[in-house]
This record gives sequence, C-alpha cells and structure tokens, in this order.
Amino acid sequence: MSFLDKIPFVRNFLQRLGAVSRSQMRFTLMLIGVSWGVMREAAFPTSWRRTVRIEFWSTLKQAIGGGLLSVLVTAGLTGFGIVAQAVYWLGFAGMAQLTGSILSTVLVREIAPILVGVILLGRSGMLILTELGMLSTGGQMRVLMGMGIDPFFAFILPRSLAMTVGGFTLGVIFSSAALLVGYVVCRAEGVITMSLWSFLDQVTSSMHLIDYISIFAKFVFSGFAVGICCCLSGIDTTTDDDLASLMPRGFARGMLSIMIINVVLSVWL
Amino acid sequence: MSENNDYQNERQIIDPILELIDARPQFDEGGLSSVRYNLRLNPGDCVLIESKDVQQAAKFTDMCLGLVDLTEGQIRCMGLDWADLDEKRQAALRGRVGRIVSNGGWIDLYGTHMNILWPQLYHTKIPEKVLIQRAVKLGIKFGLPGLPVDVPNKLTALDRSRADCVRAFLGNPSLLLLENPMGNASEDLNIAFLEMLTEVRNQGCAVIWLAPDDKGWKNYKKDTTFQLRLMDDGLVSAKKRS
Repeated sequence: MSFLDKIPFVRNFLQRLGAVSRSQMRFTLMLIGVSWGVMREAAFPTSWRRTVRIEFWSTLKQAIGGGLLSVLVTAGLTGFGIVAQAVYWLGFAGMAQLTGSILSTVLVREIAPILVGVILLGRSGMLILTELGMLSTGGQMRVLMGMGIDPFFAFILPRSLAMTVGGFTLGVIFSSAALLVGYVVCRAEGVITMSLWSFLDQVTSSMHLIDYISIFAKFVFSGFAVGICCCLSGIDTTTDDDLASLMPRGFARGMLSIMIINVVLSVWL
Repeated sequence: MSENNDYQNERQIIDPILELIDARPQFDEGGLSSVRYNLRLNPGDCVLIESKDVQQAAKFTDMCLGLVDLTEGQIRCMGLDWADLDEKRQAALRGRVGRIVSNGGWIDLYGTHMNILWPQLYHTKIPEKVLIQRAVKLGIKFGLPGLPVDVPNKLTALDRSRADCVRAFLGNPSLLLLENPMGNASEDLNIAFLEMLTEVRNQGCAVIWLAPDDKGWKNYKKDTTFQLRLMDDGLVSAKKRS
C-alpha cells in the first residue's frame, strides 16, 4: 500500500482535481496529439494509401470548389467596402502613399485569414463534422475499424490536409479578388488613376518577408485547425450526441481555433 | 474410436484461424456478458451461433476482432494475439477478415461500389481494375447485374444483402464473421451464398455464422463443424438436429 492510499482524503482530492483538469483539457490535448500525428504520418508514403488519396482529392475539391463562390462574393464586398474606402479616405487625407501598407496590413494580413477561415468552417468544416458525426453515432465508424480501416488514416489525415491546402488556396484567391475589386471600384469612380500593376506593386512593395510568412502561416494554420477541429469533433461523439449538440460545439471549437491562431500569429510575427 | 482420436490429434496440430482462450470481456452495458468464452476454429471450419440478441452478436464479433478489451484470457487470430499487436498490425490483420454486420455498416458518402471496394483499396495494392472485375464477377454470382454505383440507401434490402456478400467475400478472406447474413435473403441468394461459403471453406477459410434463428442455415446444418448458442452465460453447445 502506497503512502497516498493510506490517506483517503488526499487521494480523493487528487482524483477529483485530475478528473476536472483532464475533462477541461481533454479536447485541447487531443487536438495537439492528433495535429502532431497528422504532420508526422503525412511524411510517410505508406500513409498515402489509395483510399486516403481519394479522400484527400474529394475533400480538396469540395473545400475549394464549394467555397469558391462564397469567397469571391465576400472578397468582392470586402474589396468594395474596405479597399475602395481606404483608397478614397487616404487620398482625401493626403496620405495616398500609405495605401499599399494599410491594405497589405489590414486586409491581406488581418481580415482575409479570418474571413477565409470562417467561410471554410461554414462551407466545408461543418459538412465534415456532420458526415463524421453521423458515421460515429450510426456505428459505421466501428464497422470500419472492424474492417481494419483506421479512421485517423481514412478521414482525419486526408481531410485536415485537404483543408490546409484549401485554406491557403482560398486565401490567395480572396486577397487577389478583394484587391482587384477595390481597384476597379476606385478606378471607376476616378479616385485613382494609376494602372493595376502599379497599384498591386504598391501593395506588394509595402510588404516585408515577415508579412509573407505571416500571411502564409495564417491561411495554412487556419485551414489545418478547422479541418482537425471538425474531424475530431465529428469522430469524438457519444451515443447521446446528435446534430443539435454536435454542430454548435464543432462551430464554437472551429471559430475559437481560427481566432486563437490569428491572434497568436499577429502578436508573434 | 481410434479414427476419432487421430482426427482430434490432427485438429490440435493445425494452427487455428481463430482461438478464444478463456477470453473474458470487460463489462460493458448493452454488450457481452463478462464471462469466459472459449472457441477454436480451424481452417475450413464453420460454426453456427444462434443469438437472439443482435447487439450481443455484434459485440461478440467485435471481440473476435480484438475490438473489445479483455479482463483475462486471450484471443488469437491466425496465430497472433490481438493484445500483442500494435494498431497498424491489428488493422492489417483485420483486413484479412471478411465481415457482414447486422446494421450493414454502409456509408452513404460513397456509392455502393466504393463501399464494396474500400477495404481492399485500403489494405491491398491489387489494381483497381482487377478488384472491379472480381467484384463484378461476385456481384453477378449473388444476383446483382454488376457493381451497383448508387448510394447504399437507394438499394433495396435484398440488393444490399447481395452487396454485403460481395464485400465480405471479396479479397479471399481467411476468416468470415457473418451477422445474420441471410436475414433479408431470397431463395436464390441463399443458394448462391451457401455455394460460395462451401467454396471459400474448401480454400481454408473459417466461418462464424451468427443468426437469431436457423432460417438461413437450415439447409446447411449438416455441413457445419458445430453449433453453439450465444447466451448470457457465454457460448453454450447446441445439439445438432438432423
């Protein structure tokens, strides 16, 4: 009998403390573990079996194809609202030379990753969550395991990586479309007279290496986090779960992960 | 008498496909009773297990596949103890098992053809074309016009049973775990299924056939190795009725 076993009060207290800590941190720890697992296993060619490749391409197609219109519309509205307004008011204030740096900092670095993350979460993440949640609660996931098909390799690995690629692709499309629409609106209203290339050159030349790294990291990690959060929330269900409890939980987790990643990277880089 | 002993000795020498040695599952609500289970299946053996409780039958097959934690005893599949294998090797070994599950286990995210091919595409490197040819051949044998591409939900119960059979037999399994395979079967499917069952048994495949009654195996009883009942106190021998 150990020392702790002799003192029931201490043992019970530690047990309760551990139970609370573990239940609160469970999903976060799972998220960290699975993220590491995905990055590690993706490096091995043996992980990329035929079914994994099929799942990767179909998810990528869905994420980019399904989110493209939403991204273009949102980018158009953003370009119309933010770019055009920024150009107009900076010109009005006699600070037109700051246009490039303000657009690159505000739009491409800060707003685009969050909006793209939200679109990805709503358009593809929730679909992944629903599909995997239904498979888990319907017992099909267990049947797959009985056939020797590991849900981690069959779903989590390909889907989260597809969402990562999708996040970056949609982010680049969003930024380009927003700047383009902004330029067209300003040009149509006669606010600016420079060519499109000069305008884009002004934006890109105001950016430094750290900005490029930050933008890339935000798009990539937002997509990855959305993918992992939705896959895990879908697979990590109990028999008491249904769509009504699953979807708000998954959405909240996805949103939280997008915000945390963007805030951390903004502060850090 | 001596012939009988020789047969018994021979059976002991052969490596069993599946062996449950005093396997006691952890108590789990709605699952198996936490009692000792013993079973030995040699290549070509076929055991019929009558189980009224569908959930219990499903849990039993899960236990045979190493998906249920044991408090004591061991389960060996093709000479390997599930407890000694890491996850990847467990998955690979499960890929050698053909299975029909009571709830179908069909995934409506893909067409039926992908559902059928999925385990083989995952576990093997056999070219997809070859797999499709084999699946079509099996499909025709079981009464399908080919390989259905509709989502499983759109198929009739009978066609899903046929597709179940195709998925289970595809890939020459070493062990078949069948949960009420003939529950929705027609007479012609039943005949095709029994023919196929005999064929794979002749190739050394062991079979566990669970069903709530003897409706599906009535014509096959005499060809089976032994019959059991799955009850709350474990596996109980059932008399062979002639």
